[in-house]
This record gives sequence, structure tokens and C-alpha cells, in this order.
Amino acid sequence: MIDKAVIFNVQRFSTEDGPGIRTTVFFKGCPLKCTWCHNPEGIARKPQLMWYDVRCIGCGDCVVTCRHGALSAGESGISIDREKCEACGACADVCPAGALDLIGRTWSLEELMDEVSRDASFYKTSGGGVTLSGGEVLLQHEFAMNFMKECRKAGLHIALDTSGYVSGGIFEEAIGLADIILVDLKHFDAEKHLEYTGVPLEPILKSAKMTADAGRPVWVRTPVIPGATDSDDNIRAISRFIAGELPNCERYDILPYSNLCISKYERLGMEFIHADTPLVTQQRMEELKAVAESEGVVNVVIQGLTVRGV
Amino acid sequence: MEPKNNNCGCDSVSTIWGAADNLPDRVKKLREEYFSFNTREHFRNEATAFSTGEPWDSVWSSSNWGINPEIYTFFTAIEDSLLAGAKIVKMPGEFWNEPLPVRRARFFSQVIQKHLPVQILDGEMIVGAQFNTALSKTRTQKEERRFKKLQDEWFEKAKVHNELGVGNSGAVPGHLIPNYKKALELGFKGLSGLIREEMKGRNSARKRDQLRAMLECCEAVQGFAERYAVEAEKLAGGEKDPSRRIELLEIARICRKVPWNPPDTFHEALQALWFTHMLVMAAESYPGPGVSYGRIDQYLYKYYEKSLSQGMTRGQAEELLMCYWIKGNYAYDYIGRIGNNQGINSGFGQLVTLGGCGPEGRDMTNDLTYLMLDVIESMNMLEPKPNVRIHRNTPPELMKRVCDMLAKAQGAPFLLNFDEASMRGLVWQGVDEKDVWDYAPVGCLENTMQGNDRSGTVDVNLNLAKAVELALNEGRDVATGRQLGPRTGKPGGFDTFEKFYTAFNRQLDALLDDIVGTVEIADTARAKYEPVPYLSVLVDGCMESGRDVTAGGPVNSYITVEGIAFATAVDSVAAVKKLVYEDKRISMAELVEALKSNFEGHEKTRQMLLHRAPKYGTDNDVADGLAKEINTRWTGRAFRRKTGVTGRRFRGGYLSWNYWISYAPSTAATPDGRTRGTFLSNGIGPVNGMDIKGPTANIRSVGKAGLETAPNGASHTVSLSPSLLRDPEHIDKLAAMLRGYCEQGGTALQINILDPETLRQAQKNPEEYRNLLVRVTGYNAYFVNLGREIQDEIIAREAGTI
Repeated sequence: MIDKAVIFNVQRFSTEDGPGIRTTVFFKGCPLKCTWCHNPEGIARKPQLMWYDVRCIGCGDCVVTCRHGALSAGESGISIDREKCEACGACADVCPAGALDLIGRTWSLEELMDEVSRDASFYKTSGGGVTLSGGEVLLQHEFAMNFMKECRKAGLHIALDTSGYVSGGIFEEAIGLADIILVDLKHFDAEKHLEYTGVPLEPILKSAKMTADAGRPVWVRTPVIPGATDSDDNIRAISRFIAGELPNCERYDILPYSNLCISKYERLGMEFIHADTPLVTQQRMEELKAVAESEGVVNVVIQGLTVRGV
Repeated sequence: MEPKNNNCGCDSVSTIWGAADNLPDRVKKLREEYFSFNTREHFRNEATAFSTGEPWDSVWSSSNWGINPEIYTFFTAIEDSLLAGAKIVKMPGEFWNEPLPVRRARFFSQVIQKHLPVQILDGEMIVGAQFNTALSKTRTQKEERRFKKLQDEWFEKAKVHNELGVGNSGAVPGHLIPNYKKALELGFKGLSGLIREEMKGRNSARKRDQLRAMLECCEAVQGFAERYAVEAEKLAGGEKDPSRRIELLEIARICRKVPWNPPDTFHEALQALWFTHMLVMAAESYPGPGVSYGRIDQYLYKYYEKSLSQGMTRGQAEELLMCYWIKGNYAYDYIGRIGNNQGINSGFGQLVTLGGCGPEGRDMTNDLTYLMLDVIESMNMLEPKPNVRIHRNTPPELMKRVCDMLAKAQGAPFLLNFDEASMRGLVWQGVDEKDVWDYAPVGCLENTMQGNDRSGTVDVNLNLAKAVELALNEGRDVATGRQLGPRTGKPGGFDTFEKFYTAFNRQLDALLDDIVGTVEIADTARAKYEPVPYLSVLVDGCMESGRDVTAGGPVNSYITVEGIAFATAVDSVAAVKKLVYEDKRISMAELVEALKSNFEGHEKTRQMLLHRAPKYGTDNDVADGLAKEINTRWTGRAFRRKTGVTGRRFRGGYLSWNYWISYAPSTAATPDGRTRGTFLSNGIGPVNGMDIKGPTANIRSVGKAGLETAPNGASHTVSLSPSLLRDPEHIDKLAAMLRGYCEQGGTALQINILDPETLRQAQKNPEEYRNLLVRVTGYNAYFVNLGREIQDEIIAREAGTI
């Protein structure tokens, strides 16, 4: 039995990842490479080192400690040579200020259960529970299944936040264990989907339909990315699919593009091609909401950072 | 950051939300009149002094104000200027043959029946204007000398405690709930009947004197109300507006009836309540702090219901309540001249309690609860300060109303008190389980019983973090070198954590014993030489025991020690344990050196203390375990002690007023990574910015601290970003969080909604705001970890500018 997983964050008092007050467990590693990904630290499976300039006091202990010669101190602070860095975490351990952070660490099932059980009272009063998110949680499906089984035993409500890009058998087993599934439908044009996310659309639609066949409640979510997913046509196509194929869909969230992740890209040494993309206006979101509703989707919710005005 | 303070030491209402636009004209006018202190020449409720005229007379006691160190240097000036401006009330020769309680009663009686100015403001429905006084203590020369000796003795110690950041103490008036329910039900006529009954028994001379004094006070109340009846009639005679004339005649009728007779209607009950309440402030010569109403929605309900059945509309009831609401704010005229008036910067805490449970956990919310919340929302005034009791069976409607108000106010319109945890503490203290449901908080959140309890809820304030400083410096204050505590040895000799911890505990014990001994002097002085027989009439136990309310008369009589800087102390001990003894990353020598130099040249050490040690407020079992140990140990020690003269037991609590700021410079650098001058922790909450695992973890840490041994209750503030309250779905999540607090948290909570200014401060001082979470769907980030531009964007968003 696999009782360890690489997790990059366990977020208590999560209010945005399913019903009620939740603890969201972010599993590391994702088969998708969405260009707008707001948790880029969740893409790579392996742990990664991040350096926080605002915390660093410039003591240089990390540089001395690194056995791989991956760190150097310069005018702009600490530089990480990602070719050399093995993410062993020795520098993060020695850093007095917590300026070096190893993103992703191994959690045991027991440790994770202890953490997610702590807010059980709040789950009960709010109709909340545990959300498995990522990355793509089902890349670590064996652990995820065990974890969900333990949560069920403990009476904790489970939300499975998944890309749906998972092989059929695994997906079927997983949705059988979850109380609610959060699934992203990002683009309904197969070519564009491949272009923006790096994976084909078809398996995702298949997964979505499986949730309908299984009769599991689903929340569908679409990130509204200007120039990528924000056309009326795209929202209309997704909405038609929901209205036609997903009678189990309880809610459709449209999520305006957010640029809060820019600093994460910088710290990971990754490029963010949407850095200059403007935020979506509230009015535009309302228009898209109307499009979705006109296709017969009920309970369309705008969630996120918008700009007032036009 | 310069926080807006009320007397809980929490960020306060301040001026964030304005009055409703649709206030009735009468109320609008009265409200504006109140806020025009500088221009209302026709009426100011400033402290009026009344003296016997004897050369040794005194009208003010510094020990009453011992917990206001900011005025220590003005003590003599205040006392002298009040006395210099005092009106002389000549008392007849036989007066001086009477014992002190009778003298105090008779003087009070003379003043309220003949001298206290009587004034009715235009348009008001509830009358009774002038109540800030400085009444003669009516002591003989010999009594005065003895009193002064004790007071000087207290002040010598109090000054040192304050200067060196140990804390402060005093014999503070107010801070109790008089038995208003009984006063309404019986009237003062009925109360004097009870006193006469008691007089028939075989009583000691002391008790006979006390009862006589109390009886004189009761009877004076009738004469006092009559003066308002006469004034109302006089005004009615000259009134041109026929509807106002009718009102004034009705006011005259009511003042002839109550508070001597029990009220029947809602209007009568409110008038009776106001007279009774304002005279408490007049009798104690104290402008309101903590003179609290208790469960006002409960004991006024039967009058409300009756008047409704007799044709009063809900709107009329609301207007009467609004008129009432303005009255208590006039307490602030006491300090009007020094610019601190109108409740902008501080709160006097004439607390009203709304909602809450009854026997067997049954909910007691009624229509008056909701009506009063409406009034609170429309009036936006600081007094009376509301506290809503929340418990397992609080109805969803009330929870929704409370959360909607929190969301709308973008501030804190009230404090929340949690019944289950509060009652556990009171039962631990000794209150009978079958009575405890009827408790109510005073001042801010200090839990007491109603009508029979004086627990001196703010009499002692002790800086727990000072014990850390002393333990690491052989009992000496670091700044001055003065020996404050026992010589517990050089820290270098603490070769195990237990040795360090023992030194800490010994220092804390010594500080506690010292400050408790100091307050006992002030308490003794008040008990012997400063009786308040009028208030004693209104507090159960005084009549039966024949002891004054100041002398241990009430059924429940405690002195509360409020712990300051709890989390600072806990995190300090936890950091020493982890980094010096377990991980051995910092040597004791290095730690001591770093603290002495206020971390200058020791930044690495400071960073480790900040980032590499367990922190209280993160649901960390190690830190929380220490928190529980430290809490139960010192509060338990306090509870084992009693005063000699008044027999009052000491009990613990956590309320930091503004001391978490004012003692920051006099507390040396601490091993939690705090530099001298950085604020101490506030109430029972974690150190600023350390609750980095969010509010539920913060709440659980507080809940694990074993707070029942601090029956006073504990002030806890949780800050939330406005984005959490952006729509009904999220407001429901807040309600659920509050329900979770019932199970997991402490006794009292203030929800503080972050404003853009706070975020700007966080940009400047990221270290203090590590806990600030920004939430957008599927994404959570700590504000201080974001890039500058993104931070600006979020600030702009919260400010509503994008």
C-alpha cells in the first residue's frame, strides 16, 4: 500500500474549493500545462526550491550548505541553478528566515489524516470537508484512493478537484469515493484545448460524462482567460455540453483570469505568458454568465477577481 | 500601526459606518446635539464636584483610576481642580455623628434631591441628563488620613509596576451588572421594603448602619425623579407645540411613577431603567466604564410585549430605544474638555447583552433582540456597547443578522460572546450549573453573573511576558537593572529546559503575588473608606450580608487578574524549548546576548526565533500544550488567593486593553523574536501575524488553552479579508465559522474586517502580517509574499477603486 504522497500545500479554512469550510490538499504534479496555471508549483511532480526575496536576510548560509553548487549569491539575491538543484532541502532547513522553501514534501497518510481532521467541527457546521486538489491529484491515485477511504471512515465530506485527464478505470474508482467532483472544462475547441493545456479534450469530456453516468454531483469550472477561453462561443459550447450531458451538474463557476500568480512564476524561474493580460471586467463576466444561462445552465456563479466598470 | 482602540484592546467600531439616513427627526436632532460637545453651551454633562466643604475633604480617588497609567502624572491636578471647583453642600451638625456609609448615603441623597442640575433636552423622551459627578467621600479627618496612607502605599508600588512594564492595578468602579431586573420588578419602593424586612432581624451594628444607608438612598431616588416631573411640567407650561406638550406631561406622569413604583409600559420601563442606571454612575462618581445592563432584551421584553398589546407600534418602540441609546453616550462628556470625547478613541463599555441561551441550552432570542440590533445599526454610537451571545442553539435568523451586520459594517459593530465556553469557566469558578445560563458580560467581554456579582474585572493587569525577561536576567529588569523578582540564577546555568521553565514560573509567581498584594491595598482602602450604598441596594448579597458592594458584599465577589501578552510569553518559552534545548541551534549565551542587545547584530538568531519555532495560534500541539500549562498554572495560583479584608478571591482572564501597546517599550526583547517596542500579543490571541494557518487553526489554539480556569473570559480578535464576506454564500461560511467557534474556540470573539489601510501597513511591515491571506477561487496566497505590484492591485480592489 502506498502511504506517502508529494503534497505542496495543505490549506485550512479553504472557502473557495467546494461547499462550506474545507481543508484543501494540493497534490504535486500535473499532466496538463495550462498556460495560465495559477498554481505553477503544482505542475512538476518533484519538489522544487523557491526563494522569497522579501524574507531573505542575506546571511549566505544556504550557499555554504548546498552540496550541489546550485546556489549563488549575487546583487539580486540568491540565484538557483535548477540544473544542479536536487531539491534535497538542506538549504531550506538551514535558512533562518524561511526564505528558501522546498515546495512539495512527502506526507504520510497518517500525518495527512491528522491535519485534515482538525477542522472537522467546522466542516460539520458549514457543510464542508476535504478537497483533493493539485496539480492533478489522480497522478498519485493509489495514495489518493487510500486517503479518500480514510476520509470516508472518518466521516469527512470529500470534494475531488480534478482535471479529468485520467484513465477511465482510475477515474471511475475515484469518483465513486468522492462526494462531489469539481471538474474544469477549459476550452471546447479540441485544437485550442491541446494548444493551451497540452492535452487533448476528448478524455476530459469522457470523464465528465462518467460523472453523469455515475450520478455524482459535479461543479464545472471554466477559467475565463482573455484571448484564450473568454469568447462567447467557448462559454456557449461548454454550457451546451453541461446542459445536454451533465444533468448532475449542480453549479457552473466561471472564474475570471487572475494574475496573482506572477510572483510564483518568477520564483520558480518559469515564464508566464499572460503576465500582461488585463483582468476581466465584471460586466464581461455578467455577459458570459448570461450566455451560459441562455443555454439552460442553472446556478452560474462568477468567482474571483474582476475589474469594475467596462 | 496605530490601532483604533476600544477598551478590549481590539480594533473598534470608530467611525467606519455612519448613522442610517432614515432616523426619525427627533432622534437625528438629539444625536447631532450629542456630537456637538464644543457648541452645546446649554448642556454639558461634565463632572460636577460636590464637597462637604471640610478642609480635608476629598471628592476623587486616584486608586479608582489606577489602571489608567496615562493619567498617573495628572492625579494630583485632577483631584485638586475638581475640589477647587466643587459646590459646597453644607451638612447639618449631627451628620458627623453618623457612620461613614450613612454619611455617604445622606450626602448622595442631598445632592440628587437638591443640587444635581435637572435638565430635559428638547425632544427627548427619556429624561435624566446630568450624572457625571465627583461626590464628597464624606470622610472624617481621621478616616481621610488613614485612607490617604493606604492610597499612597498602593501608589508607590503601582508606579513602579507601571514604569517597569509589570502591569497596573486599582480599585476600579463600575464593571458589574446591577440587578436592574429586580429594580424594575419591585421599584425602589419594593427594594426599600426588602431593606426594612432585613432590618427586623438581629443584626450587627455594622449591618444596621449599612442597611440604614441603603434605605436613605432608595428614598432619595423618589425625590430625585420628582424634580424631573416638576421640570417636565414647567416645560409643558411654556411649550407651544401641542404634541410636545403632551409628551412632556406624559414624561411628568412617568417620573412621578418610576423608578419608585414598578413600571408597566415599555416607556415607563426605559425611564425607570435610565434613572436607575445614571444614578449608579452618579453614586460611584465614575462615568460609566463597565456599568453594564446585562440581558436587556430579556428583562425589558415583558414591558415591550405589554405595550405592543396596548397599541404601541414597533416603530414607536424603536424610537424610544433610539432616544435611550443616546443617553449613555453622555458619559463621554466627562472627558469632553480633553478632546477624547464622543467615543472616537475609547469605549466606556456600558455593555448590553443580546440573545443567548436559557436553561437546558434553550435559545432566548426574542423580537426585542432584533429590534435592538436594528437600533444599533441605525444609530452607530459607541454606547451602549453591544455584545451578542452565541451558542449551539442560536437560531439561523439571528446568526444571519449578526453576520450580515459584520459584512456591512466593515468593522466590528459588536463583540460575540460564546455561551458554552463562558459557562464552563463560570461553573469552574463555582457558579451553580442550574443558574449559569443567566450570566452576562460586563465592560467588554468579562463574564459575570447578573445583579449579584462584582468581580473587579479590570482591577489587575499583569504582563506575563515580563516573567520571560526576568527569568533570563536573574530577576532584574533589563533596561534599569532593578531587581524585580527572585534571583533565579544565571541563564547559563539552566542546563535543561526544565530549569529555565522553573525560573520562568518562579518569576511569574512573584510578579503575580506582588501585583495582587498591591491591588489588595487599594481594595482595602476602598472597602473601608469608600462605600457606595446606592449601588449596594442594586447588588444582591449586600443587603443580606450588610456589607457594601465595595466590601465584599455581593454574592459573587472576585478580583480579576487580566493577563497581558499571553502569546508573547508562550511563544517565547516555546522558542527557547525548541531552539536552545531540543534543536540546539541557538546557545543560551547567544540568546541572552541577542536579547540584551535587542537583536542588533543578531538578526540570524532573531529570524530563527521567528521562523523556526512552534507558534501558538497555528494549532501546533507543542505550542498549544505550553499555552495550556502556562494558563492553568498562573490562573490556578491566582484563584487560590483571597484578600484579607474583603474576602474576595482572585480569578484570571485575558483582556489587554491598550497595555499590549503601552508596555511594549518597557518589555525587553523576547525569545519569540520580538524586539523591544514591538507590540505584545493582544488578549488570548496569537502574536501579531503568527496565525499563519488561518482562522480555524487560530481558533483551535485558543480553544486548547484550557480557558475555564480563566473564568473572566478572554478577548480574541480574528481578522478577515472583506473578500470572505463578498456574497451570501460566503457570509454563510462566516456563520458556520462562528458555529464552529462554539465547539472549538474561546469565550469571546471580535471579527475584524481588514481595511485597505491594514494592507498598506502589511506592505511596509511584512513580518507582522505573515498571516494575511488573499483568496481567489482555487488560489490562496499570503499577501506579504506577493510582488509589490500585485499587492497594490489588491489594495486598490479592497478600497473599491478598481
